Amino acid sequence: MTAVRIQLEDFSQDAELLALRAGSQRMGGIATFIGCARDFSEGREVSEISFDAYGSMALVEMNNLRSEAIIKFGLLDARLVHRIGIIGAGEQIVFIAAGAEHRAAAFDACRWLIDELKQRVPIWKKEITPSGDSWVTQHP
Amino acid sequence: MIQILFFGPVAELTGVRELAADFHSGMRLQDVVANLQNRYADAFRGVSFISVNNRQVRDQLIVLNDGDEIAFMAKFSGG
Repeated sequence: MTAVRIQLEDFSQDAELLALRAGSQRMGGIATFIGCARDFSEGREVSEISFDAYGSMALVEMNNLRSEAIIKFGLLDARLVHRIGIIGAGEQIVFIAAGAEHRAAAFDACRWLIDELKQRVPIWKKEITPSGDSWVTQHP
Repeated sequence: MIQILFFGPVAELTGVRELAADFHSGMRLQDVVANLQNRYADAFRGVSFISVNNRQVRDQLIVLNDGDEIAFMAKFSGG
């Protein structure tokens, strides 16, 4: 299970954390972020979200983000997983974990990774609603 | 041959995800862009990023190589 993946299937936070922690016993702090599909957006119900990605470039960018975060925040390791395809409301979309010797670096890196992912990784989401589908253009 | 890719909202407006263009020596990115903008005007209004071989490019004067892969992309919205 590689540290950076794009996949159709769901992921297990427990399995990701086991893999992260297996790399070092010096890890004193781990911060995680899980992005989930909301059932309500822009004033309307959302039943599913469809994700499209430029897979090869997205993987390159996600690996770059991981490498940059390890250097920038002095992490011991980091993992990034993003799902694509159709994801139902309430399901998991993205997983980020940052492991460091101390909590501050882990928190800072985790926030930085998800913020940068939204701006740099070529993935697009379309919300599927009872009243029609629409591509999401903002990344709040 | 140049491979041209569209994704997400751009692909929805072009109606295709992939095209091939004949390569000729001295071909520049701007040549490909101009040709496609004429064919897919609506889709290109939403193009915010262009990549060549997985790297974003801003200079459309770059000279292309046979086999290059060009992607036209809207603003990202992953996560």
